[in-house]
Amino acid sequence: MPTAPFVERRVESYLEIHLRPALFIPELRSKKKSSVLEEMVAHLAKHQIARQAEPVLETLRQREALGSTGVGKGIAIPHARSTMVVERAVLLARSVKGVEFEALDENPVHLFFLIVAPPTDKDPIYLQMLAQIVRAVRLAPARRKILEAPDFATIRTLIGAQLADE
Amino acid sequence: MNSQLLALVALQDLDLMIREAKDPERATQEEELGFTLKGVDKLVKTRERLAKQIDERLLQTYERMARRFTRVVVPVEGRVCLGCFMGLPTAAKRNVEPRTIENCENCGRILYRL
Repeated sequence: MPTAPFVERRVESYLEIHLRPALFIPELRSKKKSSVLEEMVAHLAKHQIARQAEPVLETLRQREALGSTGVGKGIAIPHARSTMVVERAVLLARSVKGVEFEALDENPVHLFFLIVAPPTDKDPIYLQMLAQIVRAVRLAPARRKILEAPDFATIRTLIGAQLADE
Repeated sequence: MNSQLLALVALQDLDLMIREAKDPERATQEEELGFTLKGVDKLVKTRERLAKQIDERLLQTYERMARRFTRVVVPVEGRVCLGCFMGLPTAAKRNVEPRTIENCENCGRILYRL
């Protein structure tokens, strides 16, 4: 009896596992740092990731006070662990025009990866996802493709390919 | 949720953030990824201001318990404390009085219901 050919399948990264179409904002309405955070947290609350929006928003604001999560090259990775978060999640949002986010290089931010998680004792996945985002958008062509991608599925594939190439 | 409980939630989140920012290993990991953690002093001041808004006895309870648990303020889901995962007695119904702070009878954590 012939056997099926062995096809090696790549194990998905934690980042890919956490990327969900429901947590994607193709084009942010907000143009300012404070309102962008509000818009993204409202989206998390709408999808029951945040039990209440305001406390999660306040925790993210405090994280920004610690140091801007606008890491430069048009990327921001706001992240915080909050009591009011139900489960670990990543929200991806884009802004073609860009948002003044007090980024380290002072350039506007076009891609936002918001990571939230509940305050569990140790959460190594949370840090690994931060590292995976940094790796996925390290190169300019990858950032451009994500920004220009027509839909969420394409972005997810692009990120997967980028992480597989590393 | 009453304002004291909300302030406790904010305090707990802030404490975790300060603890992680002051943890050399954790701070190095974040800095290597390109994040800056220069504002720890700002967070400590915010924490001081926030703590002043909380009832003294409640704050003492929180701080005493924070020495034992990472999470002192935890949600209740389906009559289960999500801190120790033990069921709450049927009698421990939703508090009618919004000012009342409820504790888990098993672990003592401060509970919040939605």
